[in-house]
Amino acid sequence: MSSEERGAEREVPPPHLWVRGVHKRFGGVHALDGVDFEVACGEVMALVGDNGAGKSTLMKVLAGAHLADAGEFWMDGKQITINSPHDATNLGIQIVYQDLALCENLSVSANLSLGAEPVKQGWGFLPRFLRPIDELDMERKAKSAIDSLEVRTLHSMRALVGTLSGGQRQAIAIARAVGTKSSVVMLDEPTAALGVAQTRQVLGVVKRLRETNHAVVYISHNMRDIFEISDRICVLRHGAHVGTWRTNETKPDEIVIAMTHGIDEKVN
Amino acid sequence: MNLIHRLREMRQNRFGAFVPVLLALAAIWVYFGLAVPLYEHWTNPDSESVRFIFLSARNIYNLFMQSAVIATLAVGITIVLLLGDIDLSAAATAGVCAALLGVLVLAGVPGWVACLMVMFVGIVMGAAQGMLVAYVGIPSFVVTLAGLLGYQGLMQKILPTGNLNVGDPFVRSIARILIPDLWGLAIAGLVVVAMVAVVLRRQAQRREKNLETDSALAVFPQVALFGILVFAVVLTLNSYRSLPLMILLLVALTSLVGWVTTSTPFGRAIFAVGGNPESARRVGIDVKRIRVAAFGIVGLLAAIGGIFGASRFGSVSYTAFAGGTLLLESIGAAVIGGTSLFGGRGSVWNAILGALVIGSLGNGLDLSGASAADKLMFSGGILILAVAIDALSRAETGGTGR
Repeated sequence: MSSEERGAEREVPPPHLWVRGVHKRFGGVHALDGVDFEVACGEVMALVGDNGAGKSTLMKVLAGAHLADAGEFWMDGKQITINSPHDATNLGIQIVYQDLALCENLSVSANLSLGAEPVKQGWGFLPRFLRPIDELDMERKAKSAIDSLEVRTLHSMRALVGTLSGGQRQAIAIARAVGTKSSVVMLDEPTAALGVAQTRQVLGVVKRLRETNHAVVYISHNMRDIFEISDRICVLRHGAHVGTWRTNETKPDEIVIAMTHGIDEKVN
Repeated sequence: MNLIHRLREMRQNRFGAFVPVLLALAAIWVYFGLAVPLYEHWTNPDSESVRFIFLSARNIYNLFMQSAVIATLAVGITIVLLLGDIDLSAAATAGVCAALLGVLVLAGVPGWVACLMVMFVGIVMGAAQGMLVAYVGIPSFVVTLAGLLGYQGLMQKILPTGNLNVGDPFVRSIARILIPDLWGLAIAGLVVVAMVAVVLRRQAQRREKNLETDSALAVFPQVALFGILVFAVVLTLNSYRSLPLMILLLVALTSLVGWVTTSTPFGRAIFAVGGNPESARRVGIDVKRIRVAAFGIVGLLAAIGGIFGASRFGSVSYTAFAGGTLLLESIGAAVIGGTSLFGGRGSVWNAILGALVIGSLGNGLDLSGASAADKLMFSGGILILAVAIDALSRAETGGTGR
């Protein structure tokens, strides 16, 4: 199957993360069958496909949660290996799972710093995990992370996450993933189960990620969101790469046909 | 619905979580302290004056001392409740440690050495259970139920007669030493001044760093209430005897544990594991080690509770610890204090208040001549009420926006 880019090559920025021929089997199931995929900085790449097409598997392979059976991985022209979530984090690849994994009983700032709380100076005689947390520094960091995503509905960094709306939680999960040194952010169905206003808010955050030169991988089933937010659309079917389209050169119908029937003469 | 909603909102902030247990305490004190004596006075034509026994300084002193052992255990149990686990073996651990303490000092080991030894034993007993929970994956309910049975047996082995007097002067002094009246007031003053200083400094820093500040209207009533409570307690205790060292130790211990749980990365990890273990795991928190450490802390506090008990009674008996109502009272105290059985929410200070609620209930019912059966039924009712409040206020936290 063709994995050639459609449209004029020169308008697409060089890929930041780039994989070729990724295979992943689960027992007898060939979840990924030689998938090619790429995403550039400052780009939102939508990853679409029917249930079982391999979107989530590909994302988990990139995040180091699954180990690929075969495949080449490249970042900024250098070959890389992703054998664990730790590798992925070190490479600046972050994933926001659908369940968000936030602690509802903790504040926004505590969630954003969880596992890496800043501690106060002058307590060196204690092991780090028993030094007092610098709450003010933590809040300041949280505030700048939330502000950089331009989430205007979130005012208090001390509010418990359990009291916030779905859109606000999604924004916090994204802010945590973006952190300080991430270049690739993968979002798994960020607007599923959100209402209209909440969806707008999340799409705004995704746009901010693109403006801040992140490479964004956006998994979704919602064609309206995809056509609003993405620069390119990568379609998977039965674990294989069907094709990649530029969003402004295709139509939802064409993508849906590619998702359900694979590529045919009409698309080619 | 409206009341429940208010309750939920109130429990969202740290101070608000104190309100239900403070109200419960106030209700119990008004009932036993004012209502019962007045009713007796008016219905009994022979009585010449109202006798406020419950609210007398002497009774309040006893109440604090009675509640101290329950409170020590409840503080420990709060830590595992925060993780979403439970410890049914704390009272039995306290019993084993107290019995061991009695045997050790009888054998001539200096009191302070014996205390350190049983504290270490307590940590080992707790951490061993924590390992079974964390690494073998047995639910904490089952592990600590087995621990409860096993440690009860162990205590009987150590004390074949079921009773042992503890005469060691060091051990006895913990409950006997009284802080001189003026010193007690000075300590209370220092605590209040320190709290005001911390609040003012934090507000100044927040303003300086351009972060949201608490409104002075919200903060100062809290500080004032806290100050009044501290001085009221010290003055009341002074008017009977003085501030006992044991109460001071309990408060210091609770402050330390409270500080660790709310202000350090370790404490934050406990809350995170209790709130969402998957989230904690993904950010790199070693959930298993946190579990083991938490059970170790319960073991340590149970041992300290055992030492306090041995010191106060001057003896160790099977029924006072492992075989009695101490376990249920201390779990009840933690839960009545508002610590959630579902994990992730609660405070060790609330456990102290919960222990006072349980202690006041027992003391008040004793004074009004209630039977043991009445006491049990009342305690059960209060416990159900506390857990119902917890369940109702939790319902919303899981549900918004999803």
